[in-house]
Amino acid sequence: MTSIRDFLTDDHRRCDDVFADVEQAVADGNWALAGDTFGRFSAAVLQHFAVEESLLFPAFEQKTGMTMGPTQVMRSEHVQMRELIAAAGAALAAQDADEYAGNAETLLIMMQQHNMKEENILYPMCDQHLADESAELLPQIETGLAAAGK
Amino acid sequence: MQAVLSFDQAPPFAAPFRFFVTAPFFALIAGVLLAVLGPEAFSSRWTPGALALTHLLAIGFLLQVMLGAMIQILPVVAGANLFHPLVVARVVHPLVVVGALALSAGFLGMADFAMPLAMATLATAAGLFFAVAAASLRGIPQTSPSIGGFKLAMLGLLVTVLLGLLLAGGLRGYWSLPLIELTQVHANWAFGAWALALLSAVAYVVVPMFQITPPYPGWFSRRFGVWLLLAVLATSLAILRFDDEIASAIQMTIFALAAGFCGMTLWLQSRSRRTRPDATQKFWRMAMLCGMAACLFWALARMFPELAGWRGTPLLVGVLLLVGGFMSVIIGMLYKIIPFLIWLHLQNRGQSRVTAPNMKAVLAESRMLLHFRLHVGACAALVAATVWPDVLTQLAGVAFSVAACSLLANVFKAAGVYRRHAALVDARLAEIAADASAGSPAREMP
Repeated sequence: MTSIRDFLTDDHRRCDDVFADVEQAVADGNWALAGDTFGRFSAAVLQHFAVEESLLFPAFEQKTGMTMGPTQVMRSEHVQMRELIAAAGAALAAQDADEYAGNAETLLIMMQQHNMKEENILYPMCDQHLADESAELLPQIETGLAAAGK
Repeated sequence: MQAVLSFDQAPPFAAPFRFFVTAPFFALIAGVLLAVLGPEAFSSRWTPGALALTHLLAIGFLLQVMLGAMIQILPVVAGANLFHPLVVARVVHPLVVVGALALSAGFLGMADFAMPLAMATLATAAGLFFAVAAASLRGIPQTSPSIGGFKLAMLGLLVTVLLGLLLAGGLRGYWSLPLIELTQVHANWAFGAWALALLSAVAYVVVPMFQITPPYPGWFSRRFGVWLLLAVLATSLAILRFDDEIASAIQMTIFALAAGFCGMTLWLQSRSRRTRPDATQKFWRMAMLCGMAACLFWALARMFPELAGWRGTPLLVGVLLLVGGFMSVIIGMLYKIIPFLIWLHLQNRGQSRVTAPNMKAVLAESRMLLHFRLHVGACAALVAATVWPDVLTQLAGVAFSVAACSLLANVFKAAGVYRRHAALVDARLAEIAADASAGSPAREMP
Protein backbone atom coordinates (compact mmCIF):
# COMPACT_ATOMS: atom_id res chain seq x y z
CA MET A 1 0.00 0.00 0.00
CA THR A 2 1.20 3.54 -0.75
CA SER A 3 2.50 5.33 2.32
CA ILE A 4 1.86 8.98 3.14
CA ARG A 5 5.58 9.53 2.64
CA ASP A 6 5.63 8.03 -0.88
CA PHE A 7 2.49 9.79 -1.96
CA LEU A 8 3.41 13.29 -0.87
CA THR A 9 7.06 12.85 -1.91
CA ASP A 10 5.82 12.10 -5.44
CA ASP A 11 3.82 15.31 -5.32
CA HIS A 12 6.96 17.27 -4.32
CA ARG A 13 8.71 15.89 -7.41
CA ARG A 14 5.79 16.88 -9.64
CA CYS A 15 6.07 20.45 -8.31
CA ASP A 16 9.85 20.40 -8.99
CA ASP A 17 9.19 19.40 -12.59
CA VAL A 18 6.81 22.28 -13.19
CA PHE A 19 9.33 24.65 -11.53
CA ALA A 20 11.93 23.49 -14.09
CA ASP A 21 9.42 24.04 -16.92
CA VAL A 22 8.96 27.69 -15.85
CA GLU A 23 12.71 28.22 -15.76
CA GLN A 24 13.00 26.76 -19.25
CA ALA A 25 10.30 29.07 -20.58
CA VAL A 26 11.97 32.12 -18.99
CA ALA A 27 15.33 31.08 -20.47
CA ASP A 28 13.66 30.83 -23.90
CA GLY A 29 12.23 34.33 -23.42
CA ASN A 30 8.72 32.89 -23.84
CA TRP A 31 6.99 35.05 -21.24
CA ALA A 32 3.48 33.95 -22.11
CA LEU A 33 4.33 30.28 -21.63
CA ALA A 34 6.35 31.13 -18.51
CA GLY A 35 3.36 32.94 -17.03
CA ASP A 36 0.98 30.04 -17.75
CA THR A 37 3.40 27.46 -16.41
CA PHE A 38 4.12 29.53 -13.32
CA GLY A 39 0.37 29.65 -12.73
CA ARG A 40 0.29 25.85 -12.78
CA PHE A 41 3.33 25.67 -10.49
CA SER A 42 1.90 28.10 -8.00
CA ALA A 43 -1.49 26.34 -7.97
CA ALA A 44 0.16 22.96 -7.43
CA VAL A 45 2.36 24.12 -4.56
CA LEU A 46 -0.36 26.13 -2.83
CA GLN A 47 -2.75 23.20 -3.08
CA HIS A 48 -0.09 20.92 -1.59
CA PHE A 49 0.26 23.33 1.35
CA ALA A 50 -3.50 23.55 1.75
CA VAL A 51 -3.92 19.76 1.83
CA GLU A 52 -1.17 19.42 4.42
CA GLU A 53 -2.50 22.24 6.58
CA SER A 54 -6.14 21.13 6.43
CA LEU A 55 -5.80 17.33 6.47
CA LEU A 56 -2.42 15.89 7.33
CA PHE A 57 -1.15 18.26 10.02
CA PRO A 58 -4.40 18.32 12.04
CA ALA A 59 -4.56 14.51 11.95
CA PHE A 60 -0.97 14.29 13.15
CA GLU A 61 -1.49 16.91 15.84
CA GLN A 62 -4.66 15.24 17.09
CA LYS A 63 -3.03 11.83 17.26
CA THR A 64 0.25 12.88 18.88
CA GLY A 65 -0.87 15.92 20.85
CA MET A 66 2.09 17.85 19.37
CA THR A 67 0.68 21.15 18.17
CA MET A 68 3.80 23.25 18.60
CA GLY A 69 6.21 20.67 17.14
CA PRO A 70 7.25 19.94 13.56
CA THR A 71 3.89 20.85 12.02
CA GLN A 72 4.20 24.36 13.42
CA VAL A 73 7.62 24.75 11.81
CA MET A 74 6.26 23.46 8.50
CA ARG A 75 3.39 25.95 8.64
CA SER A 76 5.75 28.87 9.19
CA GLU A 77 7.93 27.68 6.28
CA HIS A 78 4.78 27.54 4.11
CA VAL A 79 4.25 31.22 4.95
CA GLN A 80 7.78 32.07 3.82
CA MET A 81 7.37 30.12 0.59
CA ARG A 82 4.04 31.80 -0.17
CA GLU A 83 5.88 35.14 0.06
CA LEU A 84 8.61 33.95 -2.29
CA ILE A 85 6.06 32.59 -4.77
CA ALA A 86 4.33 35.98 -4.73
CA ALA A 87 7.66 37.79 -5.30
CA ALA A 88 8.64 35.44 -8.14
CA GLY A 89 5.17 35.85 -9.70
CA ALA A 90 5.48 39.63 -9.57
CA ALA A 91 8.94 39.52 -11.21
CA LEU A 92 7.52 37.28 -13.94
CA ALA A 93 4.61 39.64 -14.54
CA ALA A 94 7.13 42.49 -14.88
CA GLN A 95 9.20 40.29 -17.28
CA ASP A 96 12.25 40.89 -15.10
CA ALA A 97 14.39 37.82 -15.75
CA ASP A 98 17.10 38.64 -13.18
CA GLU A 99 14.66 39.38 -10.40
CA TYR A 100 12.75 36.20 -11.25
CA ALA A 101 15.97 34.15 -11.21
CA GLY A 102 16.95 35.46 -7.76
CA ASN A 103 13.54 34.83 -6.22
CA ALA A 104 13.17 31.47 -7.95
CA GLU A 105 16.59 30.30 -6.77
CA THR A 106 15.77 31.28 -3.18
CA LEU A 107 12.39 29.60 -3.45
CA LEU A 108 13.97 26.43 -4.84
CA ILE A 109 16.44 26.06 -1.96
CA MET A 110 13.80 26.96 0.63
CA MET A 111 11.38 24.49 -0.94
CA GLN A 112 13.95 21.70 -1.17
CA GLN A 113 15.19 21.98 2.40
CA HIS A 114 11.56 22.07 3.52
CA ASN A 115 10.77 18.97 1.45
CA MET A 116 13.78 17.22 2.93
CA LYS A 117 12.55 17.77 6.46
CA GLU A 118 9.11 16.51 5.50
CA GLU A 119 10.30 13.52 3.51
CA ASN A 120 12.95 12.36 5.96
CA ILE A 121 11.39 13.31 9.26
CA LEU A 122 7.75 14.40 9.31
CA TYR A 123 6.21 11.99 6.76
CA PRO A 124 7.87 8.91 8.30
CA MET A 125 6.49 10.09 11.66
CA CYS A 126 3.03 10.48 10.09
CA ASP A 127 3.23 6.97 8.62
CA GLN A 128 4.18 5.67 12.04
CA HIS A 129 1.55 7.50 14.07
CA LEU A 130 -1.26 7.52 11.53
CA ALA A 131 -1.01 3.88 10.43
CA ASP A 132 -4.65 3.22 11.43
CA GLU A 133 -5.99 6.39 9.87
CA SER A 134 -4.08 6.32 6.58
CA ALA A 135 -6.63 4.15 4.74
CA GLU A 136 -9.13 6.95 5.24
CA LEU A 137 -6.70 9.87 5.06
CA LEU A 138 -4.88 9.03 1.82
CA PRO A 139 -7.95 9.15 -0.47
CA GLN A 140 -8.85 12.52 1.08
CA ILE A 141 -5.33 13.82 0.37
CA GLU A 142 -5.57 12.46 -3.17
CA THR A 143 -8.89 14.21 -3.77
CA GLY A 144 -7.50 17.42 -2.27
CA LEU A 145 -4.48 17.41 -4.58
CA ALA A 146 -6.64 16.56 -7.60
CA ALA A 147 -8.47 19.83 -6.99
CA ALA A 148 -5.36 21.62 -8.31
CA GLY A 149 -5.61 19.66 -11.56
CA LYS A 150 -2.81 17.20 -10.71
CA MET B 1 11.13 11.35 19.76
CA GLN B 2 14.50 13.05 19.72
CA ALA B 3 13.89 14.02 16.10
CA VAL B 4 10.81 15.97 17.16
CA LEU B 5 12.55 17.95 19.85
CA SER B 6 15.44 18.89 17.62
CA PHE B 7 13.37 19.62 14.56
CA ASP B 8 12.37 23.20 14.90
CA GLN B 9 15.50 25.26 15.31
CA ALA B 10 17.85 26.35 12.61
CA PRO B 11 21.19 26.93 14.34
CA PRO B 12 22.05 30.61 14.93
CA PHE B 13 23.66 32.31 11.94
CA ALA B 14 26.97 32.84 13.72
CA ALA B 15 27.42 29.08 14.35
CA PRO B 16 28.16 27.94 10.78
CA PHE B 17 29.15 31.34 9.40
CA ARG B 18 32.29 31.82 11.47
CA PHE B 19 33.78 28.70 9.83
CA PHE B 20 32.90 30.01 6.35
CA VAL B 21 34.54 33.39 6.98
CA THR B 22 37.90 32.10 8.18
CA ALA B 23 38.24 29.17 5.75
CA PRO B 24 39.14 31.29 2.66
CA PHE B 25 42.00 32.90 4.62
CA PHE B 26 43.66 29.49 4.76
CA ALA B 27 43.48 29.18 0.98
CA LEU B 28 45.14 32.59 0.76
CA ILE B 29 47.84 31.62 3.29
CA ALA B 30 48.50 28.43 1.30
CA GLY B 31 48.84 30.40 -1.94
CA VAL B 32 51.23 32.91 -0.42
CA LEU B 33 53.26 30.13 1.22
CA LEU B 34 53.59 28.32 -2.12
CA ALA B 35 54.71 31.54 -3.83
CA VAL B 36 57.27 32.16 -1.06
CA LEU B 37 58.62 28.60 -0.84
CA GLY B 38 58.82 28.18 -4.60
CA PRO B 39 59.94 25.02 -6.42
CA GLU B 40 61.34 23.39 -3.28
CA ALA B 41 57.80 22.80 -1.96
CA PHE B 42 56.88 20.80 -5.09
CA SER B 43 60.06 18.74 -5.25
CA SER B 44 58.37 15.84 -3.43
CA ARG B 45 55.21 15.08 -1.45
CA TRP B 46 57.35 14.67 1.66
CA THR B 47 58.84 18.17 1.79
CA PRO B 48 57.86 20.22 4.87
CA GLY B 49 56.33 22.75 2.49
CA ALA B 50 54.13 20.18 0.72
CA LEU B 51 52.97 18.77 4.07
CA ALA B 52 52.21 22.25 5.42
CA LEU B 53 50.30 23.21 2.26
CA THR B 54 48.29 19.98 2.29
CA HIS B 55 47.16 20.56 5.88
CA LEU B 56 46.46 24.27 5.43
CA LEU B 57 43.98 23.25 2.74
CA ALA B 58 42.74 19.99 4.26
CA ILE B 59 42.16 21.30 7.80
CA GLY B 60 42.12 25.07 7.37
CA PHE B 61 39.83 25.09 4.35
CA LEU B 62 38.06 21.75 3.81
CA LEU B 63 37.56 20.59 7.40
CA GLN B 64 36.48 24.06 8.51
CA VAL B 65 33.79 24.43 5.87
CA MET B 66 32.68 20.84 6.40
CA LEU B 67 32.26 21.38 10.15
CA GLY B 68 30.31 24.60 9.60
CA ALA B 69 28.13 22.94 6.98
CA MET B 70 27.47 19.91 9.21
CA ILE B 71 26.27 22.17 12.03
CA GLN B 72 23.77 23.58 9.55
CA ILE B 73 22.82 20.47 7.64
CA LEU B 74 22.44 17.80 10.35
CA PRO B 75 19.17 19.28 11.70
CA VAL B 76 17.75 19.66 8.18
CA VAL B 77 18.71 16.31 6.69
CA ALA B 78 18.56 14.11 9.74
CA GLY B 79 16.55 16.06 12.31
CA ALA B 80 19.66 15.78 14.48
CA ASN B 81 20.23 19.07 16.25
CA LEU B 82 23.62 19.56 17.83
CA PHE B 83 23.77 20.30 21.51
CA HIS B 84 24.10 24.10 21.83
CA PRO B 85 25.42 24.66 18.28
CA LEU B 86 26.65 28.18 18.99
CA VAL B 87 28.68 27.10 22.02
CA VAL B 88 30.11 24.13 20.10
CA ALA B 89 31.03 26.41 17.20
CA ARG B 90 32.63 28.97 19.51
CA VAL B 91 34.83 26.31 21.07
CA VAL B 92 35.62 24.11 18.05
CA HIS B 93 36.22 26.95 15.58
CA PRO B 94 39.17 28.68 17.31
CA LEU B 95 40.69 25.30 18.13
CA VAL B 96 40.64 24.28 14.46
CA VAL B 97 42.00 27.66 13.33
CA VAL B 98 44.88 27.55 15.82
CA GLY B 99 45.43 23.83 15.15
CA ALA B 100 45.69 24.24 11.37
CA LEU B 101 48.14 27.14 11.71
CA ALA B 102 50.21 25.39 14.39
CA LEU B 103 50.37 22.13 12.42
CA SER B 104 51.67 23.92 9.33
CA ALA B 105 54.16 25.88 11.45
CA GLY B 106 55.22 22.58 13.02
CA PHE B 107 55.87 20.98 9.61
CA LEU B 108 57.89 24.00 8.57
CA GLY B 109 59.88 23.84 11.83
CA MET B 110 58.97 27.42 12.70
CA ALA B 111 58.61 26.89 16.46
CA ASP B 112 59.27 24.08 18.85
CA PHE B 113 55.92 24.34 20.58
CA ALA B 114 53.93 24.35 17.30
CA MET B 115 53.49 20.60 16.86
CA PRO B 116 52.43 19.85 20.47
CA LEU B 117 50.03 22.82 20.28
CA ALA B 118 48.58 21.48 17.02
CA MET B 119 48.14 18.03 18.56
CA ALA B 120 46.35 19.38 21.62
CA THR B 121 44.03 21.76 19.76
CA LEU B 122 43.10 19.46 16.89
CA ALA B 123 42.56 16.45 19.18
CA THR B 124 40.28 18.50 21.43
CA ALA B 125 38.36 19.98 18.49
CA ALA B 126 37.84 16.65 16.73
CA GLY B 127 37.02 14.80 19.95
CA LEU B 128 34.49 17.40 20.99
CA PHE B 129 32.82 17.65 17.59
CA PHE B 130 32.68 13.87 17.28
CA ALA B 131 31.09 13.53 20.71
CA VAL B 132 28.47 16.20 20.01
CA ALA B 133 27.68 14.91 16.50
CA ALA B 134 27.51 11.29 17.72
CA ALA B 135 25.16 12.31 20.54
CA SER B 136 22.88 14.15 18.10
CA LEU B 137 22.84 11.25 15.62
CA ARG B 138 22.19 8.62 18.28
CA GLY B 139 18.75 7.11 17.96
CA ILE B 140 17.98 8.96 14.71
CA PRO B 141 16.12 6.55 12.43
CA GLN B 142 17.91 5.84 9.14
CA THR B 143 15.25 7.35 6.89
CA SER B 144 17.74 8.30 4.15
CA PRO B 145 21.13 6.97 2.97
CA SER B 146 22.67 10.33 3.87
CA ILE B 147 22.16 9.72 7.59
CA GLY B 148 24.17 6.47 7.44
CA GLY B 149 26.76 8.29 5.34
CA PHE B 150 27.16 10.99 8.00
CA LYS B 151 27.75 8.38 10.68
CA LEU B 152 30.43 6.60 8.61
CA ALA B 153 32.10 9.91 7.76
CA MET B 154 32.27 10.91 11.43
CA LEU B 155 34.00 7.59 12.16
CA GLY B 156 36.39 8.33 9.28
CA LEU B 157 37.21 11.75 10.74
CA LEU B 158 37.91 10.27 14.16
CA VAL B 159 40.30 7.63 12.80
CA THR B 160 42.00 10.21 10.54
CA VAL B 161 42.67 12.51 13.49
CA LEU B 162 43.86 9.67 15.73
CA LEU B 163 46.31 8.54 13.04
CA GLY B 164 47.40 12.16 12.59
CA LEU B 165 48.13 12.39 16.33
CA LEU B 166 50.17 9.19 16.20
CA LEU B 167 52.14 10.57 13.25
CA ALA B 168 52.73 14.00 14.80
CA GLY B 169 53.95 12.34 18.00
CA GLY B 170 56.18 10.06 15.92
CA LEU B 171 57.66 13.06 14.12
CA ARG B 172 58.42 14.66 17.48
CA GLY B 173 60.08 11.46 18.65
CA TYR B 174 57.55 10.72 21.40
CA TRP B 175 57.30 7.16 20.09
CA SER B 176 58.75 5.09 17.29
CA LEU B 177 56.45 4.19 14.41
CA PRO B 178 56.67 3.25 10.72
CA LEU B 179 55.93 6.84 9.65
CA ILE B 180 55.78 6.33 5.88
CA GLU B 181 53.26 3.49 6.09
CA LEU B 182 51.16 5.23 8.73
CA THR B 183 51.09 8.39 6.60
CA GLN B 184 49.64 6.37 3.73
CA VAL B 185 47.01 4.88 6.03
CA HIS B 186 46.22 8.37 7.38
CA ALA B 187 45.80 9.77 3.84
CA ASN B 188 43.53 6.87 2.83
CA TRP B 189 41.26 7.52 5.81
CA ALA B 190 41.31 11.28 5.26
CA PHE B 191 40.46 11.18 1.55
CA GLY B 192 38.31 8.05 1.50
CA ALA B 193 36.64 7.37 4.81
CA TRP B 194 36.19 11.01 5.83
CA ALA B 195 36.11 13.44 2.90
CA LEU B 196 34.63 11.25 0.15
CA ALA B 197 32.22 9.56 2.56
CA LEU B 198 30.94 12.94 3.74
CA LEU B 199 30.82 14.35 0.21
CA SER B 200 28.77 11.39 -1.02
CA ALA B 201 26.35 11.66 1.92
CA VAL B 202 25.84 15.34 1.16
CA ALA B 203 25.66 14.74 -2.60
CA TYR B 204 22.71 12.32 -2.28
CA VAL B 205 20.80 15.27 -0.87
CA VAL B 206 22.08 18.34 -2.66
CA VAL B 207 22.70 17.18 -6.24
CA PRO B 208 19.04 16.29 -6.88
CA MET B 209 17.99 19.27 -4.78
CA PHE B 210 20.03 22.11 -6.30
CA GLN B 211 20.10 20.82 -9.84
CA ILE B 212 16.76 18.98 -10.13
CA THR B 213 18.28 15.70 -11.26
CA PRO B 214 16.99 12.16 -10.70
CA PRO B 215 18.08 10.79 -7.29
CA TYR B 216 21.18 8.61 -6.90
CA PRO B 217 20.00 5.01 -7.45
CA GLY B 218 19.20 3.20 -4.20
CA TRP B 219 21.65 0.36 -4.88
CA PHE B 220 24.40 2.97 -5.08
CA SER B 221 23.57 5.33 -2.22
CA ARG B 222 22.71 2.55 0.26
CA ARG B 223 26.02 0.72 -0.22
CA PHE B 224 28.63 3.20 -1.40
CA GLY B 225 29.66 4.39 2.08
CA VAL B 226 30.04 0.84 3.40
CA TRP B 227 32.05 -0.30 0.37
CA LEU B 228 34.28 2.71 0.77
CA LEU B 229 34.91 2.01 4.44
CA LEU B 230 35.68 -1.66 3.72
CA ALA B 231 38.08 -0.69 0.92
CA VAL B 232 39.89 1.78 3.20
CA LEU B 233 40.08 -0.79 6.01
CA ALA B 234 41.46 -3.50 3.69
CA THR B 235 44.01 -1.10 2.18
CA SER B 236 45.13 -0.01 5.65
CA LEU B 237 45.63 -3.60 6.80
CA ALA B 238 47.66 -4.44 3.70
CA ILE B 239 49.84 -1.33 4.12
CA LEU B 240 50.47 -2.14 7.77
CA ARG B 241 51.46 -5.70 6.81
CA PHE B 242 54.12 -4.01 4.62
CA ASP B 243 52.79 -5.72 1.50
CA ASP B 244 53.14 -2.94 -1.07
CA GLU B 245 51.93 -4.95 -4.03
CA ILE B 246 48.71 -6.13 -2.38
CA ALA B 247 48.12 -2.74 -0.71
CA SER B 248 48.43 -0.94 -4.02
CA ALA B 249 46.07 -3.44 -5.68
CA ILE B 250 43.46 -3.06 -2.94
CA GLN B 251 43.87 0.70 -2.98
CA MET B 252 42.71 0.66 -6.58
CA THR B 253 39.25 -0.27 -5.26
CA ILE B 254 39.13 3.08 -3.39
CA PHE B 255 40.05 4.90 -6.59
CA ALA B 256 37.54 2.82 -8.57
CA LEU B 257 34.81 3.71 -6.07
CA ALA B 258 35.78 7.39 -6.21
CA ALA B 259 35.72 7.33 -10.03
CA GLY B 260 32.34 5.56 -9.87
CA PHE B 261 30.98 8.30 -7.61
CA CYS B 262 32.28 11.04 -9.94
CA GLY B 263 30.89 9.24 -13.00
CA MET B 264 27.50 8.71 -11.38
CA THR B 265 27.31 12.37 -10.31
CA LEU B 266 28.26 13.63 -13.79
CA TRP B 267 25.66 11.34 -15.34
CA LEU B 268 22.97 12.63 -12.98
CA GLN B 269 24.01 16.23 -13.63
CA SER B 270 23.76 15.65 -17.37
CA ARG B 271 20.08 14.88 -16.73
CA SER B 272 19.52 18.07 -14.73
CA ARG B 273 16.25 19.79 -15.60
CA ARG B 274 17.69 23.23 -14.94
CA THR B 275 18.39 25.31 -17.99
CA ARG B 276 21.78 26.90 -17.61
CA PRO B 277 24.49 25.54 -15.32
CA ASP B 278 25.06 28.09 -12.53
CA ALA B 279 28.33 28.70 -10.66
CA THR B 280 27.66 25.90 -8.18
CA GLN B 281 27.01 23.41 -10.94
CA LYS B 282 30.19 24.48 -12.74
CA PHE B 283 32.25 23.98 -9.57
CA TRP B 284 30.66 20.55 -9.09
CA ARG B 285 31.36 19.49 -12.66
CA MET B 286 34.94 20.64 -12.44
CA ALA B 287 35.35 18.72 -9.18
CA MET B 288 33.98 15.50 -10.62
CA LEU B 289 36.15 15.79 -13.76
CA CYS B 290 39.27 16.44 -11.64
CA GLY B 291 38.35 13.49 -9.41
CA MET B 292 38.06 11.22 -12.43
CA ALA B 293 41.32 12.54 -13.86
CA ALA B 294 43.09 11.80 -10.55
CA CYS B 295 41.73 8.25 -10.47
CA LEU B 296 42.67 7.68 -14.11
CA PHE B 297 46.19 8.96 -13.55
CA TRP B 298 46.59 6.72 -10.50
CA ALA B 299 45.49 3.71 -12.57
CA LEU B 300 47.95 4.62 -15.33
CA ALA B 301 50.72 4.92 -12.75
CA ARG B 302 50.01 1.33 -11.71
CA MET B 303 50.30 0.17 -15.31
CA PHE B 304 53.43 2.10 -16.27
CA PRO B 305 56.34 1.77 -13.80
CA GLU B 306 58.09 4.90 -15.12
CA LEU B 307 54.98 6.91 -14.18
CA ALA B 308 54.80 5.24 -10.76
CA GLY B 309 58.42 6.17 -10.12
CA TRP B 310 58.02 9.77 -11.28
CA ARG B 311 58.44 12.33 -8.46
CA GLY B 312 55.43 14.30 -9.61
CA THR B 313 52.83 11.50 -9.56
CA PRO B 314 51.68 11.82 -5.92
CA LEU B 315 51.78 15.64 -6.20
CA LEU B 316 49.72 15.68 -9.36
CA VAL B 317 47.14 13.27 -7.92
CA GLY B 318 47.13 15.28 -4.67
CA VAL B 319 46.53 18.59 -6.48
CA LEU B 320 43.76 17.08 -8.61
CA LEU B 321 42.01 15.56 -5.59
CA LEU B 322 42.51 18.29 -3.01
CA VAL B 323 42.29 21.49 -5.07
CA GLY B 324 40.54 20.42 -8.28
CA GLY B 325 38.21 17.98 -6.52
CA PHE B 326 37.32 18.62 -2.90
CA MET B 327 38.08 22.33 -2.84
CA SER B 328 36.00 23.02 -5.96
CA VAL B 329 33.01 21.12 -4.69
CA ILE B 330 33.20 22.82 -1.30
CA ILE B 331 33.32 26.27 -2.93
CA GLY B 332 30.31 25.31 -5.04
CA MET B 333 28.42 24.40 -1.87
CA LEU B 334 29.49 27.60 -0.08
CA TYR B 335 27.97 29.60 -2.93
CA LYS B 336 24.56 28.07 -2.20
CA ILE B 337 24.79 27.86 1.59
CA ILE B 338 25.99 31.42 2.29
CA PRO B 339 23.40 33.36 0.20
CA PHE B 340 20.61 31.06 1.38
CA LEU B 341 21.48 31.37 5.07
CA ILE B 342 21.75 35.12 4.77
CA TRP B 343 18.34 35.31 3.09
CA LEU B 344 16.82 32.93 5.67
CA HIS B 345 18.11 34.78 8.71
CA LEU B 346 17.21 38.21 7.28
CA GLN B 347 13.76 36.93 6.39
CA ASN B 348 13.25 35.64 9.94
CA ARG B 349 14.60 38.85 11.37
CA GLY B 350 12.17 40.87 9.25
CA GLN B 351 9.21 38.85 10.59
CA SER B 352 7.52 38.92 7.17
CA ARG B 353 7.23 42.72 7.45
CA VAL B 354 10.55 43.63 5.84
CA THR B 355 11.47 41.62 2.76
CA ALA B 356 14.96 40.11 2.62
CA PRO B 357 17.14 40.45 -0.50
CA ASN B 358 16.95 37.24 -2.56
CA MET B 359 19.98 34.96 -2.96
CA LYS B 360 21.26 36.58 -6.15
CA ALA B 361 20.90 40.01 -4.57
CA VAL B 362 23.05 38.78 -1.65
CA LEU B 363 25.77 37.52 -3.99
CA ALA B 364 25.60 38.15 -7.74
CA GLU B 365 26.11 35.24 -10.11
CA SER B 366 28.72 37.26 -12.06
CA ARG B 367 30.96 37.50 -8.97
CA MET B 368 30.82 33.74 -8.42
CA LEU B 369 31.53 33.07 -12.11
CA LEU B 370 34.56 35.37 -12.00
CA HIS B 371 35.90 33.38 -9.06
CA PHE B 372 35.19 30.16 -10.97
CA ARG B 373 37.39 31.31 -13.84
CA LEU B 374 40.19 32.33 -11.46
CA HIS B 375 39.92 29.00 -9.65
CA VAL B 376 40.15 27.04 -12.93
CA GLY B 377 43.23 29.06 -13.85
CA ALA B 378 44.83 28.42 -10.45
CA CYS B 379 44.18 24.68 -10.71
CA ALA B 380 45.65 24.54 -14.19
CA ALA B 381 48.74 26.41 -12.97
CA LEU B 382 49.12 24.05 -10.00
CA VAL B 383 48.83 20.95 -12.21
CA ALA B 384 51.41 22.39 -14.60
CA ALA B 385 53.69 23.23 -11.65
CA THR B 386 53.80 19.57 -10.61
CA VAL B 387 55.31 18.85 -14.05
CA TRP B 388 57.58 21.91 -14.31
CA PRO B 389 58.09 22.99 -10.69
CA ASP B 390 61.15 25.16 -11.36
CA VAL B 391 59.37 27.43 -13.79
CA LEU B 392 55.81 27.44 -12.56
CA THR B 393 55.54 26.87 -8.80
CA GLN B 394 55.70 30.53 -7.82
CA LEU B 395 53.33 31.56 -10.58
CA ALA B 396 50.90 28.86 -9.40
CA GLY B 397 51.19 30.22 -5.85
CA VAL B 398 50.29 33.69 -7.07
CA ALA B 399 47.38 32.40 -9.20
CA PHE B 400 46.05 30.43 -6.24
CA SER B 401 46.32 33.50 -3.97
CA VAL B 402 44.41 35.62 -6.47
CA ALA B 403 41.61 33.03 -6.64
CA ALA B 404 41.52 32.88 -2.82
CA CYS B 405 41.21 36.70 -2.68
CA SER B 406 38.25 36.52 -5.03
CA LEU B 407 36.54 34.00 -2.71
CA LEU B 408 37.32 36.17 0.31
CA ALA B 409 35.92 39.24 -1.43
CA ASN B 410 32.70 37.35 -2.22
CA VAL B 411 32.25 36.05 1.33
CA PHE B 412 32.82 39.53 2.78
CA LYS B 413 30.54 41.10 0.18
CA ALA B 414 27.74 38.73 1.28
CA ALA B 415 28.50 39.37 4.97
CA GLY B 416 28.30 43.12 4.27
CA VAL B 417 24.85 42.71 2.70
CA TYR B 418 23.80 40.83 5.83
CA ARG B 419 25.10 43.49 8.21
CA ARG B 420 23.60 46.41 6.32
CA HIS B 421 20.25 44.78 5.76
CA ALA B 422 20.01 43.56 9.37
CA ALA B 423 20.44 47.15 10.55
CA LEU B 424 17.81 48.26 8.04
CA VAL B 425 15.38 45.59 9.26
CA ASP B 426 15.86 46.61 12.89
CA ALA B 427 15.28 50.28 12.06
CA ARG B 428 12.18 49.51 9.98
CA LEU B 429 10.70 47.23 12.65
CA ALA B 430 11.28 49.92 15.28
CA GLU B 431 9.45 52.39 13.03
CA ILE B 432 6.56 49.99 12.58
CA ALA B 433 6.38 49.39 16.33
CA ALA B 434 6.45 53.17 17.00
CA ASP B 435 3.71 53.71 14.40
CA ALA B 436 1.59 50.98 15.92
CA SER B 437 1.80 52.35 19.46
CA ALA B 438 1.57 56.08 18.76
CA GLY B 439 0.77 56.84 15.17
CA SER B 440 -2.03 54.56 14.09
CA PRO B 441 -4.98 56.17 15.94
CA ALA B 442 -3.91 59.55 14.58
CA ARG B 443 -3.68 58.17 11.06
CA GLU B 444 -7.22 56.90 11.21
CA MET B 445 -8.54 60.35 11.91
CA PRO B 446 -10.07 62.11 8.91
